[in-house]
Amino acid sequence: MASRRRMLLKVIILGDSGVGKTSLMNQYVNRKFSSQYKATIGADFLTKEVQFEDRLFTLQIWDTAGQERFQSLGVAFYRGADCCVLVHDVNVMKSFDNLNNWREEFLIQASPHDPENFPFVVLGNKIDVDGGNSRVVSEKKAKAWCSSKGNIPYFETSAKEGFNVEAAFQCIAKNALKNEPEEEVYLPDTIDVGGGRQQRSSGCEC
Amino acid sequence: MSSDDAHSSSSEHDSTDQNPNPSTSIDQSLDAIEGQLTSISLNHRNSPLPEPPIPPPHHGIGDTLPSDAHSQVEEVGAVEKSGSDVEVENSVSRGEGVLWRNSSDVEGEVEGQGSPSSSGYAGGKGTSSSSGVSGSGIEEISGDEVDQGEGGIRSGSFGGSVDSEWVPGKRHVNEDDASVSWRKRKKHFFVLSHSGKPIYSRYGDEHRLAGFSATLQAIISFVENGGDRVKLVRAGKHQVVFLVKGPIYLVCISCTEEPHESLNEQLELLYGQMILILTKSINRCFEKNPKFDMTPLLGGTDAVFSSLIHSYSWNPATFLHAYSCLPLAYPTRQAAGAILQDVAESGVLFAILMCKHKVISLVGAQKASLHPDDMLLLANFVMSSESFRTSESFSPICLPRYNPMAFLYAYVYYLDADTYLMLLTANPDAFYRLKDWRIRIEMVLLKSNVLNEAQRSMLDGGMHVEDLPVDPSPRSGSLSSHLGQPRPPPDSADRCKALLGGPCGLWHFIYRSIYLDQYVSSEFSSPINTPKQQKRLYRAYQKLYTSMHDRELGPHKTQFRRDNNYVLLCWVTQDFELYAAFDPLADKALAIKTCNRVCQWVKDVENEVFLLGASPFSW
Ligand SMILES: Nc1nc2c(ncn2[C@@H]2O[C@H](COP(=O)(O)OP(=O)(O)O)[C@@H](O)[C@H]2O)c(=O)[nH]1
Ligand SMILES: [Mg+2]
Repeated sequence: MASRRRMLLKVIILGDSGVGKTSLMNQYVNRKFSSQYKATIGADFLTKEVQFEDRLFTLQIWDTAGQERFQSLGVAFYRGADCCVLVHDVNVMKSFDNLNNWREEFLIQASPHDPENFPFVVLGNKIDVDGGNSRVVSEKKAKAWCSSKGNIPYFETSAKEGFNVEAAFQCIAKNALKNEPEEEVYLPDTIDVGGGRQQRSSGCEC
Repeated sequence: MSSDDAHSSSSEHDSTDQNPNPSTSIDQSLDAIEGQLTSISLNHRNSPLPEPPIPPPHHGIGDTLPSDAHSQVEEVGAVEKSGSDVEVENSVSRGEGVLWRNSSDVEGEVEGQGSPSSSGYAGGKGTSSSSGVSGSGIEEISGDEVDQGEGGIRSGSFGGSVDSEWVPGKRHVNEDDASVSWRKRKKHFFVLSHSGKPIYSRYGDEHRLAGFSATLQAIISFVENGGDRVKLVRAGKHQVVFLVKGPIYLVCISCTEEPHESLNEQLELLYGQMILILTKSINRCFEKNPKFDMTPLLGGTDAVFSSLIHSYSWNPATFLHAYSCLPLAYPTRQAAGAILQDVAESGVLFAILMCKHKVISLVGAQKASLHPDDMLLLANFVMSSESFRTSESFSPICLPRYNPMAFLYAYVYYLDADTYLMLLTANPDAFYRLKDWRIRIEMVLLKSNVLNEAQRSMLDGGMHVEDLPVDPSPRSGSLSSHLGQPRPPPDSADRCKALLGGPCGLWHFIYRSIYLDQYVSSEFSSPINTPKQQKRLYRAYQKLYTSMHDRELGPHKTQFRRDNNYVLLCWVTQDFELYAAFDPLADKALAIKTCNRVCQWVKDVENEVFLLGASPFSW
């Protein structure tokens, strides 16, 4: 089971619907892109093995849907996440404005140990659209927000063209890994049999 | 018995009828059983045996299980829960409105006949590590393929069977949920954390099943969010059974047709095995850190879990919640018990001497009693961990039924290839003291020939149905004396001889003593001599046990079933439970009479097949 000593990292992808979360995940894991839009319902899960600094680990990617009726799942979905990826569409201002809500929502629901230092990564997606002409969220603006939230790493991506996707996920993996706490020593109690049994035992060797 | 003739004539009619109409035959058979099974209870205090059988206790017939109860049980709703489960039910059992999609379309696996994912990307199948497997395998898994992982050659009786070919440890590590072979496995077991991280999978690599594991977590959490609990999902031939233990989720997916109650108990034992290794304090780690990964703490225990799961298909202790003893002459067991008693009085909590899965003797310190499930899990842990065989060991273990929160320490020593001694203490510094005790115990056991006797018993086996005495005499309480007894009973009816197996077509039996928490089963003999037949009989008993203990319909006193494979007879009293399998053509009245004889026989040899009385005298 554990002799392989690999680590499993749980990664949550959040952002408004339509920004390209599912596409990014599919581009990263399957190197495929579909321009057909199919709303994610509930959640999708993908896994990918990643090599990083001589260590093999598994990314378990949780791609959640934006539908209202699944919001209640937050706690269950976010529990135990190692990294949270916030995605916006650089062509839609609203999706960028909502990053703050997504981040806060995540921190409330997942209630990580050290919220200040919980690893987030922000992706500005769909930079390919219209050759960049329809873009409304500038790189500068996005980076400013990221640095105001404790220097969140920022990547500009195109799920369609596979641009920067690999690099972004490498960073996601790295940050998830960094956040791994020191292995605690596991020390459960020993039974206290109680009364004189223990004491009596030492003296009774016939 | 004088009423035999009257009953046998009516029963003979049944015996030619492979499918008796339950509504007409059940009353007859119950009458017959009630009337003829005499109450023979075991005596636990070694007082003299009562001479003639006591008149039967008056058991109501009204509360007996109708013979079609099986189908009733099977009709339990698809999702056993109340409340807002609609969406889960839809997505999992019908394949519509899929809520959660794993990269490999696991709902396909679950439902067995549904259409591949109705949402999501066509390209989203297969994890990155094993790409190229298309979803076309989905249709195939509904077939009832022979399970490649569960079988195993067995010999001997249920209780002490030795698998000559079954090898513990995880197999098929290269599979994942996208593999057709993985999907075809008949029975999967998963353990995952409440954050959806895989902890254990019977087949396949845990990491490659991370997506599947997340799907399971999503299903459990979704239902839990509605303030409910998902316990069972039926999907085609598959049953998906869930067990939530705090931060640890256990799931069984099976198309073995075992009752879901049994699958649930198997998950309970799997959880117990995990607790035995780590204690329930593991929950605190999850409280402190939801990301907690417990797999490193379980390092090297694959064999422990695989052998436990394997025992679900051959070891009756897993559903009877009772242990079995190695058959031994009374003085031999007494000699072993006496020395263990001395150890227990010196501050050891439990002293246990076992031969494979069977107990030679067992002594607990004052008031401490060992639950049969704990014994099962402990024995499984010791036997499946190779390291215990090679040297004396001192290992922290937890007995989940004794105290799930804390560790005990087990001194384990193999006295020979099969026989091992376990001394459990709460004192972490007791190793050397226990080592000294072991040396003394070993000397006593050698002097009183216990180890040789144990080896002999392993070879000879215990109760063979062929040796069932015709006229059990109350004073001939010895297994070995029955061995030499002339077999063909002169007074038995001719039809009796025509059948295979023991007298009157008796093929096998299990007798469980309720007070003792122990059971004894007969050795397998013709015609139950292939692993496949043994497993089928095991499953039949398991089903019978479940139906006898059904909480809604039961408790039941007697049950008589006849199908193409067997006549199965079950009789439950306050003191014991008897499960017996007969030739399908066996005469009903004679079968009932034979059960009486079996009970008397067990009673005659109880000194040898059971561990009686807690406090043997000290030397
Ligand atoms: N041009 C372009 N379209 C994209 C890109 N990423 C996603 N899309 C499209 O945007 C739509 C929504 O994508 P999807 O991944 O389903 O978004 P989600 O709701 O966040 O999962 C789909 O039609 C995609 O084809 C991208 O980088 N460039
Ligand atoms: Mg999506």
